[in-house]
Amino acid sequence: MLLKSVEYVRPDSVAQAIEILNSNEGAALLAGGQSLVNILKHRVASVDVLVDIATLEELRFVESRPDGSIEIGACITYDELDHSELIHSSHEMIAWVASHIEDQQIRNRGTIGGNCCLSDPTNNFPPLLVAMDATMNIQSSSGMRQVRAEEFFKGYLMTAIQPGEILKSITVPPVPADVGIGYVSLSVGEDSKAIVRSSAWVKLNGVVQEARVVLARVSPIPVRYQPMEEALRGSSATPEDIARAASVIGSDFEPVADSHGSSEYRREMARVVAKRAVLEAVEKVRGEGGSK
Amino acid sequence: MITQSATQAIEVTINGKTYRRVVESRQLLVHFIRDTLGLTGTHIGCDTGSCGACSIIMNGKLVKSCMLLAPQADGAVIETVEGLAHDGELSALQESFRDHHGLQCGYCTPGMLMAATYLLRNNPSPSEEEIRRGIKGNICRCTGYVNIVRSIKAVADGAQLDMGDGVAKEV
Ligand SMILES: Cc1cc2nc3c(=O)[nH]c(=O)nc-3n(C[C@H](O)[C@H](O)[C@H](O)COP(=O)(O)OP(=O)(O)OC[C@H]3O[C@@H](n4cnc5c(N)ncnc54)[C@H](O)[C@@H]3O)c2cc1C
Ligand code: FES
Ligand code: FES
Repeated sequence: MLLKSVEYVRPDSVAQAIEILNSNEGAALLAGGQSLVNILKHRVASVDVLVDIATLEELRFVESRPDGSIEIGACITYDELDHSELIHSSHEMIAWVASHIEDQQIRNRGTIGGNCCLSDPTNNFPPLLVAMDATMNIQSSSGMRQVRAEEFFKGYLMTAIQPGEILKSITVPPVPADVGIGYVSLSVGEDSKAIVRSSAWVKLNGVVQEARVVLARVSPIPVRYQPMEEALRGSSATPEDIARAASVIGSDFEPVADSHGSSEYRREMARVVAKRAVLEAVEKVRGEGGSK
Repeated sequence: MITQSATQAIEVTINGKTYRRVVESRQLLVHFIRDTLGLTGTHIGCDTGSCGACSIIMNGKLVKSCMLLAPQADGAVIETVEGLAHDGELSALQESFRDHHGLQCGYCTPGMLMAATYLLRNNPSPSEEEIRRGIKGNICRCTGYVNIVRSIKAVADGAQLDMGDGVAKEV
């Protein structure tokens, strides 16, 4: 396919990339390109300059912090996440989600930063990072700023990233022994685009201390469903408790409708995936589900 | 820094041979490989990253060449299906595809062979499930996959193990 004529540049640093963004109104960052190249083919976005940041070392690291949190550079690929011993040892769920994105070719190119900055409702990482309460570290010519994942996703293909800004890295809090994370998708084929998805973060100490239940593909951005979180708090998290909590996803909740599912179907399925995600999280804390 | 321009002078090594060309920045890597260099073994199916026919190995990683721009490959070392056979001798995997009827029309085959080569390099004895996951990004409209999986499995289990340089060796 023939793309519209476009300039290409490969900067040497993040600072240089930001300079190029600031001096070219039609510039766009190119990371793995596994979404942007298709967007360019279909000419749905007008880009004059592609700023290739995929190989910038400043964006390609995985580091653990003394408090047990982990910082992941924006241009780390899904395959690299899946092969990082550090990630596997402290934040297993991130590696698991990375290893279940579409296919090997996409996993070898696509980046965690691109996955978030696109803000496509079918993308795998946004709901997980909201559930894990990650922080997005954003760089611009005026320095760094931090945005919680929950506030980062603004709408369909819209994030908190402003012109001249680059997502530099993502910091994910530690996952202590009393915390479990679940991630469940309903999709037509294995590892294909989800119709409804839920990720749950549960802190359990005999009873549920705190819970975050995130639903995805029910609206343009991942949403926390607070009534279910409240219903879980203080409960002993038996399968019955969890099913009861999921049943609060009521008729006032109106998911988007499209060719993959009506609003009613999505609401029904949201209860199912949310229940399973919490169950998975709880089983992990109780040692029935293996790793975190 | 590679300077900002609508054309780029790139250097790419494909199957051991280095090519230097000036390309339009908008050119897809698959078109560079097929049209500019004439290496038409790499196919184009969907042109949207969905079918895997254009799969190549770039800097050791399996990628879809319709999902990259040619300038992104500047400095890269690439392997395409043309690089699998050596001195007219097919690789073990290619032989196995022939022996097990792992292709019909052949359209998906170049991409399938590259995906399978990559898989076996990283996991020399995959289970059937691992094989199926390994070729998930590659669509075949003819075979129903059964014989493709069989072809790959036979190499994984079989006597011809050295997939690395594409040369079949008896062990
Ligand atoms: C066939 C196919 C199937 C797919 N299936 C799935 C799937 O099931 N689940 C899933 O999650 N994804 C899927 N994807 C999309 C894939 O995961 C992409 O990799 C991802 O959406 C974008 O990441 P990227 O690194 O490729 O970014 P790009 O395509 O390079 O960029 C995407 C957007 O983010 C911006 N951007 C990138 N990095 C930064 C940064 N550091 N700071 C600021 N802005 C930035 C770019 O300017 C662009 O607007 C699929 C893609 C294909 C082709
Ligand atoms: S042509 Fe590249 S994936 Fe189909
Ligand atoms: S052999 Fe025809 S598409 Fe696979």
